[in-house]
Amino acid sequence: MKIVVTVKLVPDTNADKRIDPGTKRLVRTGVETVLNPFDEYAIEAALQIKEKLGGDTTVTIFSMAPESGKEIVRKALAMGADEAVLFSDAGLEGSDVWGTAYAMAQALKKTGFDLVICGSQSTDAGTGELPGALAEYLGVPGVTYLRKLDVEGTTLRGERETDNGYQTVSTQLPALASVTKSINEPRYPSLKGIMGAKKKTIAPLTLAELALDRAVGSDGAKTELLELAAAPARAKGRTAEAPDGATGAQIIVDFLKEKKLL
Amino acid sequence: MRDTIAFIEHKGGAARRVSFELATAARDIADKLGGKAHAVVVGKGAAALAEALKAYPLDAIHVAEDGDVDAYLIDPAVDYLEAVAKAAGPALVLVPNTMVGRDVGSRLAARLGAGLTADVTEISFDGGRVACVSPKLGGLTITTCAFKNSDYGVVAVRPNTFAAREGAGAGEIVAIPKPAGKQYAIKIEDEVVEAAAELGVEEASIVVSGGRGVGGPDPFVGILKDLADSLGGAVGASRAAVDAGWVSHGHQVGQTGKTVSPQLYIAVGISGAIQHKVGMRTAGTIVAVNKDGGVPIGEFADLLVVGDLFQIVPELTKRVREAKGLPA
Repeated sequence: MKIVVTVKLVPDTNADKRIDPGTKRLVRTGVETVLNPFDEYAIEAALQIKEKLGGDTTVTIFSMAPESGKEIVRKALAMGADEAVLFSDAGLEGSDVWGTAYAMAQALKKTGFDLVICGSQSTDAGTGELPGALAEYLGVPGVTYLRKLDVEGTTLRGERETDNGYQTVSTQLPALASVTKSINEPRYPSLKGIMGAKKKTIAPLTLAELALDRAVGSDGAKTELLELAAAPARAKGRTAEAPDGATGAQIIVDFLKEKKLL
Repeated sequence: MRDTIAFIEHKGGAARRVSFELATAARDIADKLGGKAHAVVVGKGAAALAEALKAYPLDAIHVAEDGDVDAYLIDPAVDYLEAVAKAAGPALVLVPNTMVGRDVGSRLAARLGAGLTADVTEISFDGGRVACVSPKLGGLTITTCAFKNSDYGVVAVRPNTFAAREGAGAGEIVAIPKPAGKQYAIKIEDEVVEAAAELGVEEASIVVSGGRGVGGPDPFVGILKDLADSLGGAVGASRAAVDAGWVSHGHQVGQTGKTVSPQLYIAVGISGAIQHKVGMRTAGTIVAVNKDGGVPIGEFADLLVVGDLFQIVPELTKRVREAKGLPA
């Protein structure tokens, strides 16, 4: 069985990010790019299935990212995946969610898969909309928000998170699954894994190898960025010491009344 | 784009609050675009909910009382919504920015070849062109995106963005024919409710969250819950509390949890690391209670009270109940 895990490169949440007022783009200089934290759960889920099934089960890392993303893809390989595909093309720049889902679907069809596993969202755009759109363009069942994922034969079973519990769901492969952070505790790459990753293949894939019948990149996008502005910073408010519970509670009550929240 | 279509999320006929917000927004947006306002409600309980939706200013309420919507994941709902969208012609489709809403919206957008915007907190109009405002990068930046290259646009709207408002409309109820020859692939075998049905943190206008400082699971069903109840709010949590197993992931606010924009956010025993901040920085007012006056949350909270949360929180609940005239 071939499991493909999609991974995204995102700016580090801890980095001090700012917007260039001229270009209205994120200043990337000095901002470290990291593997989207949600995708580590997807990689771990794939590795656990591989370990359970054994045999000829393989895990492929798939990333639509610039060439410079290679080192991060290698980190994903160090966790224990077998190989990677780096889908990289200048023509993909400026793709929106729609274009990303469409182009990735065609590339994944070319790569081949029995099961695609995605993280449930990214920490930058954070729309959480890619897995659903991708499943639609792949023409396979898309089972989202899984906190438990099992494969037996060609049947996928899982527990899908809901707002107040979960649903037990099942479908047939080929399929796409997205997983939440409740599903596992991602492993750290071992030294052996890190060394081994250096020898693993990261196969390049470009648009020229795909026969897309719709425009992608900024030309084909269905949305257009009109403005990118820095969010107004929250100002530091008051600090008050509360020697006892009654004083503390009264400070808050007065404040809420002043703000007309009580 | 001309018409506006609101997808009504509900469970067994009980609508999420955001659904009424979208039904109202559909009217206002349709008026700006010169089109009609529609709502789509499908699944068990849809027929009864459609009657309740007549109180909102809609032109048409499209209904399918169909058990398949509850027996199979997502696809049946998308089929119905797609059928209404295609019949309406160029349209803006509003879904809630919730797990179900994003799932339905993303698939619909793929089928319609439509643009997709998520976590939208404002919709603006430039002539006939619709633009959506969303916070990105954990609220660090605000993007404004317009739709292009498509007759349709799908907007996932953050709960609490629009106010629900009842009002007269034609409110015509229209049955959606069941799509023929469909084989649904993802079976829902069982549905388990782990927590009592309550207002989720995403939709609540007041959220009381606990972090590492609350020290264990008890406050989440005790002092924090009591305070949230007195204020009519929901209980949230930081990642530290969720990872410690004190409260379920559904309550988590922050980078790997939910993003919330309540009117009031009360952070109890939460230091306010960036991963938490990105999930709640757009709250109207932030009040923090912490024993340490030097915590990061003090840099962006409107009020930080430094003291013992175990003393302050129960006392606060008591005074809130008094102020609101609720029984002690």
